[in-house]
Amino acid sequence: MSTADPIAEYLSHLQRELAAVDPAVAHDALIDAESHLRAAVAAGQSPAAAVEAFGPASDFARAYSAAPAVPTSAAVGAIGARSSGVPETGPRPTGVAGIPVVGIWFMPRAWASLVYFLVPCFVIALCTFIWVVCVGSLALGTMPIIIGVPLAVFLLGSVRAIGLAEGKVVEFFLGVRMPHRVQPVQVLTPMGAVAEVGFWRRIGCWLRDVRSWLSLAWAFGNFFVATGLFSLFVTLAALAIVLIGVPMAQAAGFTAIHVDGDLAEVQFLWERVAPDADGLVRISAFTSVLSVVLGMAVATGTLWLARGTGWVYGQVVKAIQVARPQAVAQRFAIVP
Amino acid sequence: MSSALEDRILKDLSNGTAWLVVLSLVASSDDAIHGYEIGRRLADEAPEGLSFKQGTLYPMLRTMEAEGLVRSTLVPSNEGPARKCFTITAEGRRVLAAWVDAWKRTGRWMNRIVGGIDVNR
Repeated sequence: MSTADPIAEYLSHLQRELAAVDPAVAHDALIDAESHLRAAVAAGQSPAAAVEAFGPASDFARAYSAAPAVPTSAAVGAIGARSSGVPETGPRPTGVAGIPVVGIWFMPRAWASLVYFLVPCFVIALCTFIWVVCVGSLALGTMPIIIGVPLAVFLLGSVRAIGLAEGKVVEFFLGVRMPHRVQPVQVLTPMGAVAEVGFWRRIGCWLRDVRSWLSLAWAFGNFFVATGLFSLFVTLAALAIVLIGVPMAQAAGFTAIHVDGDLAEVQFLWERVAPDADGLVRISAFTSVLSVVLGMAVATGTLWLARGTGWVYGQVVKAIQVARPQAVAQRFAIVP
Repeated sequence: MSSALEDRILKDLSNGTAWLVVLSLVASSDDAIHGYEIGRRLADEAPEGLSFKQGTLYPMLRTMEAEGLVRSTLVPSNEGPARKCFTITAEGRRVLAAWVDAWKRTGRWMNRIVGGIDVNR
């Protein structure tokens, strides 16, 4: 670490001040501050003067973490009076959404999480897996003739880009705040200015950045996670739909279960029912009511599970993106 | 008046007007404008004794963006991270117009009261 660079010191200090803030917010705050200070130095200000004009790190950290990144009811005015350090937790649900247990039916975030695991999560994971396996195999196979090296670097860069795009989707569906800024690969001269980073050096920085490897590992491993979650939620959703739908359909006069052939009995939950002469199966009123109740319980549990899993999943995706292996202190290595 | 109290009054005055001034600067810029450039223009134009820390701009711009008053684009930079540059939105112009109108009315009211005071009396 260069102790001679006031900007590096300031950013280290700011990083400590942001320790308790949501990692994605801290990530953006550090990059906004760095962008401003580097622009000031590039415009001719001394690093010390730029830091002085920017203001104390503690004030910036406090104001930044209090500024909402999502719209609030008050369009303008009292900034600083609202706290959104961890916006994804949001305010406690009110109205029908605040009813214990069944309030989950009225939480849009729970439904969005369920939809996420049923469609986009699986699709993204599948496409990314195919990409990693195809390009990775090609890169490994052509490594002996050198062509594999640029291919491997390309793969590493592409999974980082895919990870950022996935973060946007995760933020939209799961409501977990993702970083909106990209931490650049750069090194500094002893004077505190940003050094020109050559192609090979940039590649070297990429290879040393743990986010590259985490993104690659996630792009590969997420397929298995997403497949498991997809199977789980499809099964639970189908079970809930059948348990609620069959009695409902029967009550509405539709044929819910029809049997062809010589099947003597059909078991629906605990009840054994013999088909009539036309092969129609009609469950008893008692079983119908219990089936609907059970189906509602499964659906409620599924929504809670989707919401909880969504939060955990979002935290994992965020952890990969905000990982700061080249933490500010280490990243500002002096160019020899 | 103590220096601390004077500083606090000036700080409150600065905070109260900063939103309007920042949004006006973004609106008056032909191109997308970076936070540093906004800070530099504010510092250049600030009256004597009325100062602010440039770091306060970013939370303000972040809130404005969340409220849909400005939108940002990332512009690659050779001097560090990509610069987040801001332009005003249609909603921002609408809010600014209402704000400017309120400011002018407040200014006339202030001038009637404050402008007529003889502080040496």
